[in-house]
Amino acid sequence: MRVTVDRERCVGSGQCELLAPEVFEVDDDGAVRVLQEQPDDDGAVRDAVQQCPTGALSAEE
Amino acid sequence: MTVSPQDVDLATVDLSDRDWWTTPPAYRHAAFDRLRREQPLAFFAEPDIPGLPAGPGYHAVTRYADLEAISSQPAVFCSGRGAVSMQDVPAELHEFFGSLISMDDPRHAKIRRIVSKTFTPRMLERTLDSVRAIVDDVLARARAKAEAGDGTIDVVADVAAPIPLRVICDMMGVPEEDRPGVLANSNIVLSGGDPELIENDDPLTAFLTAGMEMAALMERLAAERLSDPRDDLTTALVRSEVDGERLTHQEIASFFILLLVAGNETTRNAISQGLLALSEHPDQWARWAADPGLDRTGVEEVVRWVSPVTWMRRTATRDGEIDGHRFTAGEKFLLFYAAANRDPEVFADPQRFDVSRDPNPHVGFGSKGPHFCLGAHLARRELQVTFRAIFDQLPDLEVTGPPDRLASSFVNGLKRLPARLTGDR
Repeated sequence: MRVTVDRERCVGSGQCELLAPEVFEVDDDGAVRVLQEQPDDDGAVRDAVQQCPTGALSAEE
Repeated sequence: MTVSPQDVDLATVDLSDRDWWTTPPAYRHAAFDRLRREQPLAFFAEPDIPGLPAGPGYHAVTRYADLEAISSQPAVFCSGRGAVSMQDVPAELHEFFGSLISMDDPRHAKIRRIVSKTFTPRMLERTLDSVRAIVDDVLARARAKAEAGDGTIDVVADVAAPIPLRVICDMMGVPEEDRPGVLANSNIVLSGGDPELIENDDPLTAFLTAGMEMAALMERLAAERLSDPRDDLTTALVRSEVDGERLTHQEIASFFILLLVAGNETTRNAISQGLLALSEHPDQWARWAADPGLDRTGVEEVVRWVSPVTWMRRTATRDGEIDGHRFTAGEKFLLFYAAANRDPEVFADPQRFDVSRDPNPHVGFGSKGPHFCLGAHLARRELQVTFRAIFDQLPDLEVTGPPDRLASSFVNGLKRLPARLTGDR
């Protein structure tokens, strides 16, 4: 799967970092950086995409 | 105590009545059940506040799905006309006390990002040891107080209040001697107008005085940090820029107040009412105490159960429809997190306190949308450390009487919760 972030929508809530810290990190600008653009498809990454409060994350198969 | 929704006379339910919020939680949740089923967008008149014009009233949103729909459409349901008061207050007032909470994107996102990094799970890993040290010290003092006296403590004053106060003041760099004033003023700002905390029954004057005192503290600290930067949040605020511009003086002051107030009041009430829930459900206390593997789900359940922030407000920016209700621009909606957190459409057996509940998609930190709680990870950390430490260090804590509830619709607060340490360890 391929994960992308819309940094304009992101408010840096860190929910994704909590769920999948190896894939997401809130950087010094207070928005999320994707550490692995093509992570292994595990449930945590999907949860993170789904639970993002601002809908800033998307995942494609 | 159990109350059936049929025992509630909806005609007597007035969510604008401060005293209604001091009724037992079981009764309030039974009323929410009725509202959720029969009037999911029930309309209420606003309370009279001396010095403010009478407003048009608001809809109480009690269904999880409706709450999420409104929360996730900030362009249609905005925060910028006030998110923390039922009434429309002058813009400068709601910006001053609401800061980010009463602001819309893009400015909200830009200002929020200044401190986002400080509150991430990764950054908070670094604070784990200091949070533990604070909690251990507070609990040791509570034990010493009980042993020096008749064995009794007040859970609120001796355990729940000092922990978040010390954590947030450490993060902000507030000196020791200023902390009692911070606590007193943050209590007033989130008093909901409870007469015990408000002199002369004049909430507006009391809020403004408390705000001005905290702003004065910020002025002093800001001046010190500009010449002598430190590794704290206050330094981050005074040195930050948004779009190449420094934050205005008032923006810094109101952000400072928000962090102090929100960092104090919410976590305190989650601790005190979490302990109350555990004492009312001794089987859950025993299960959680015996199994540190339940620390994560136990804390999430405490936040769902307590819902420390009862509601936030949104205002329609245009006409539209929700859940069959046609609304017009300017209509107000109060998002009752406390009610959504017991919605049987989402939570199995919602009136059961279950420390192993998983999944638990509660909205105690807010729902979908840009205003999701900035302090959620910090609160989780504090609560996980605190409950584990209480199980280990105060296993003999017994709640001995009913709590004194804060007369506030906005914050689900306890003023006092009597307890004793029996010495049986």
